[in-house]
Amino acid sequence: MPAELTTLAQLLLNGLALGAAYALVALGFVLILNATGAINFAQGDMVMLGGYAAVALARVLPISGLVLLPLVMLAMAGFGLLFSLLAWRPFRHRPPIFGLLATVALGLTLQEAMNAVEGAAPQAGPTLLGTGEIRFGPLGLSRASLGILIAGLVLGLAQAWLLGRTQFGRRLRASAQDSVTARALGIPVDRLIAASFMLAAALAGAVGLLLSGPYFVTPTTGNDLILRAYIAVTIGGWGSLKGAVVGALLIALFESVVAGYASSVVATAALYGAVLLLLVVRPAGLFPALLGRRA
Amino acid sequence: MIRPAALVGLAICGWLLAVLILGSGYELRLMALAAASALMAIGYQLVFGQAGALSLAQGACFAIGAYGASILSRLGWPLWAELPATVLVPAVLAGLAHAPVRRLDGHFFALATLGFAVLVRLVAVDAQGLTGGANGLVGVPAFGRGPGAMLVGWGVVGLAAALALWLKRGGNGPALALVRGDADLARASGLDPARIRARGFVLAAGFAGAGGALQAHVLGLVSPDVADFQVMVGCLAMVVIGGRGSVAGAVLGALLIGHLPEWLRPLGASYRIAYGLGLFACLLVAPAGLIGALERIWPSRRTIGAPTPSPAAPARRTLRIEGLEKSYGGIAVLRGVTLEIRPGEIVGLIGPNGSGKTTLVNLISGLDRPDRGTIRLGDRPLERLSPDRIALAGVARSFQSPAPPVGMTPLDLVTAALAAKVGCVGFGAAAALDPLHRQAEGLLRRSPSSDIARALALDPAILLLDEPAAGLDADERDRLASLLRALADEGRGLLVVEHDMAFLMRLADRVAVLLDGRIARVGTAAEVRADPVVRAAYLGPAAC
Repeated sequence: MPAELTTLAQLLLNGLALGAAYALVALGFVLILNATGAINFAQGDMVMLGGYAAVALARVLPISGLVLLPLVMLAMAGFGLLFSLLAWRPFRHRPPIFGLLATVALGLTLQEAMNAVEGAAPQAGPTLLGTGEIRFGPLGLSRASLGILIAGLVLGLAQAWLLGRTQFGRRLRASAQDSVTARALGIPVDRLIAASFMLAAALAGAVGLLLSGPYFVTPTTGNDLILRAYIAVTIGGWGSLKGAVVGALLIALFESVVAGYASSVVATAALYGAVLLLLVVRPAGLFPALLGRRA
Repeated sequence: MIRPAALVGLAICGWLLAVLILGSGYELRLMALAAASALMAIGYQLVFGQAGALSLAQGACFAIGAYGASILSRLGWPLWAELPATVLVPAVLAGLAHAPVRRLDGHFFALATLGFAVLVRLVAVDAQGLTGGANGLVGVPAFGRGPGAMLVGWGVVGLAAALALWLKRGGNGPALALVRGDADLARASGLDPARIRARGFVLAAGFAGAGGALQAHVLGLVSPDVADFQVMVGCLAMVVIGGRGSVAGAVLGALLIGHLPEWLRPLGASYRIAYGLGLFACLLVAPAGLIGALERIWPSRRTIGAPTPSPAAPARRTLRIEGLEKSYGGIAVLRGVTLEIRPGEIVGLIGPNGSGKTTLVNLISGLDRPDRGTIRLGDRPLERLSPDRIALAGVARSFQSPAPPVGMTPLDLVTAALAAKVGCVGFGAAAALDPLHRQAEGLLRRSPSSDIARALALDPAILLLDEPAAGLDADERDRLASLLRALADEGRGLLVVEHDMAFLMRLADRVAVLLDGRIARVGTAAEVRADPVVRAAYLGPAAC
């Protein structure tokens, strides 16, 4: 393989792992979006919280991240339930902007609370598959990235199965599409919404653990992630799960490649430029949700 | 009667005066900085509070103002030239950034503005030559430590507050409420949410620029912190806590948020936790902000003069629809609809569920675009116009949904459409509220529903009514029938979509039957009722 191609392939490989992490954040974001119509600006801060949970757990239980992953996800699911009681229940009958602002306020509180408890210095969490690099011919992939890739694939497929193939998923989709009718059919909409929050928080917790190893965690870790998730969901097509994953992968590949050839500053600038351009060409995203209004 | 907002304004003036007389140098400086935030917040309540668009670029515009003032003053520009530039530069940049995405709604708009903010932050941190990079720029001429800076700052705030109040006076208020309450309803009422949002965004940028410039001159320096997203979150908090659509609320919010670190000093660095929790608590218990809470305790009542009759002599024009086609995702809903609605006649439109009646109304009113075919009012083609233009051109419609958007009274709704009709909406030009209110009151007394009154406010040549009799009792139906007849007698053409056949059959001059996306039959009620094709569609082939 020529050297330039090897470089490009390496950059794409790195981007893929990052994209898997972005995709999990975006999936959690879309889950809550579809269940409640609300934008959860604290999704990134949930990732941050999951990261600190992983760091804390690893302190008392110095075992492999593989064992800690389900523990962190379970703890975060519990947090998700609490979060839905604070950020969704009181605001469900108000215009959606209130739910959004409530998640902004709670996210800010979480950030500052972690800042007070743990300080602003980056902390390293557990790794899933140990450290070091695995070679595939001329290409290298860190064990951490491989862990993110595998975990992302497994969790993504598990979610697709849960939503697409189970009675729970069918009920969730029904209540997302038309909560009034779903309620009339006896579907426990409120409990399903709480379950969406738990699922979204568990996904965020998983990402928190996955990223805390290779990239460390700080109280403001969530800010960049929520921006990426927000962009991924928007360019993917508001509310589309497939679109969120594709959007997240595109962002990560784009960032990785542009940053590899230019700089991360250019990558960020180019990313937003590209997003603005995309919105001009396809105002409803890549996979537009079929939303109509019956007057 | 004095309103809570005015009272809060007075209280703020008292607070300022007390600090001016009794305050230490530090307190004066804190007040001067609060003035900078207040300018940003006053602008933000225009775009977020009034136009209802979640912009995330207000902090970035504040930063542009701060950097603009620092760069220009270090180049030796005098203050009188520099300050207007710090207002104009962010406004122009915001306008340029907004132009390509001006049709985007809701979260797409928020994302686009967020992208703008991220780019501004990149320039602040990384363009060493221009912005000094991470070190920022020092040596900006400061307004001094005495009361001077505070006086200048709050003088500018006073001017800005007056300007903001002027911008949303009169008929603008209800029109903006409709734009943020329901964009489709606003379009159908002759308002263009995209244009109003764009104006709000550019104006807000100008206010923020002035705030940023003030901050740079008070601090005597500018650092990339000013472009942090925290500034934007703070601005959002000021407006939400103060009261979304209120100038006095924005200023109050800026004062409170500005003093929070000071008041919570015993908490040390973790005061910001209280800041997040305070914002949350405010959303929970006072969703309309402090001003909103005061207004709820102490509502201001407006007295409306005697209702005035609405104009009853519309331009007489014929609506001609020819070969209209529309499909959704490959499924043809309309396959060539041709229909004419003449002045002074009532055309009933019937058809089984899913035959495309509402789609036809949506296409005529512009909420949806036809794939093929023409719609003309007189000689004017309508099929490519936006809904607001169509509404102002003389084709109004009512909706099936009966209630005004949350937080709006029927009077507000009708007033908004009246304001749109006189063309004085969207910041700036305005019609006085009282005559509009009296006219709206007259329309509301005449109409069985607020939405029909809203449609009539546009004084339409053609009125499209989507199931107007749904949910009305027998008496109200009679009232509706005589209203519709009277409207036709005024020379208006009416298209009435209805399921209640008995209602339509005695009212309509002609009845059109929509079957499988085509007009299957047009004729008098008796003719249509006797038609075998229509009978088959409605009653099944066995009935023939």
